[in-house]
Amino acid sequence: MNDPKNPLSPHLQIYRWQVSSLLSITHRITGILNLLGLIFISAWICSAGIGENLFEYFSVLLKSFLGKFILISFTWSMSYHLLSGIRHFFWDLGYGYEIKTANLSGIIVIISSFILTVVLWLIGKGLI
Amino acid sequence: MKASRKWILQRASAIIVAPLIVWFCVSLISLSTSNYNEIINFFGNTLFSWLTIILLVAGFFHARIGLNEIFEDYIHNEKVKNVTNLLTLFLSIIVPLITIILLLYKF
Repeated sequence: MNDPKNPLSPHLQIYRWQVSSLLSITHRITGILNLLGLIFISAWICSAGIGENLFEYFSVLLKSFLGKFILISFTWSMSYHLLSGIRHFFWDLGYGYEIKTANLSGIIVIISSFILTVVLWLIGKGLI
Repeated sequence: MKASRKWILQRASAIIVAPLIVWFCVSLISLSTSNYNEIINFFGNTLFSWLTIILLVAGFFHARIGLNEIFEDYIHNEKVKNVTNLLTLFLSIIVPLITIILLLYKF
C-alpha cells in the first residue's frame, strides 16, 4: 500500500494545464464528491429507517433550493465520473491514446456529462 | 494490497456501481419529492433494497480504493497517510454497515 518505490504523479502546482490534465483532476474531484453523495444517501436512508421525525428534516432539505442544488450537482458529478470512467476503460483496452483522440474523447465526456444529467432528471421526474 | 490487485478491484467495482448508481440516482430524483410512506414502500421492496445494499458495498469499496490512490499521490508524510487511510477505511465500512443493517431490519 505504501511502497516507497511507487512513482509519484506530477503535482498540480507545477503542471501545465491542458484538456487531459483538467479531465484527470476533475475525475478525482468528482470521485470525492460522489463519496460525499454516497454518505448523504446513506444518511437519508438511515433517517427514513430511524423514524418519520428525523426523515422530515431531509425531506425539507431535499425540497428546498439548496437540496435541489445538491441533487443536481451530485447527478452531474456522478455522470461525469461515470463517463470519464468509461473513457478510462477504453484506455485500459488499449484504445484512444493518440493526442487528438484523447482530446476529442475528453470533450465528448464533458458535453455528454451535462446531457446525461438532464436526461436522468427528465426520467426521474417522469417526463420521458 | 498489491497495486495490480487494486487495479483490477477498482475496475470490477466500477462495473458493478455504474448501472446501479444510474438507477439509484433516477430513483432518488423521483423520491426527493415523495413522502415518508413512499420511501418506506420503495425500500420495503426486496429487490430495490438488495440493489441498494450492493450499490453501497461496491460504491464505498470503490471510493476507498480511489481515495487511497489520491492520498498516495498527494500526502508525503507516511504517518499522516497511514492515519488518513485508516480513517477512510473506517468510514467506508461503518457508514454502509449501519445503513445496510437499517435497510434489512427497519423497512
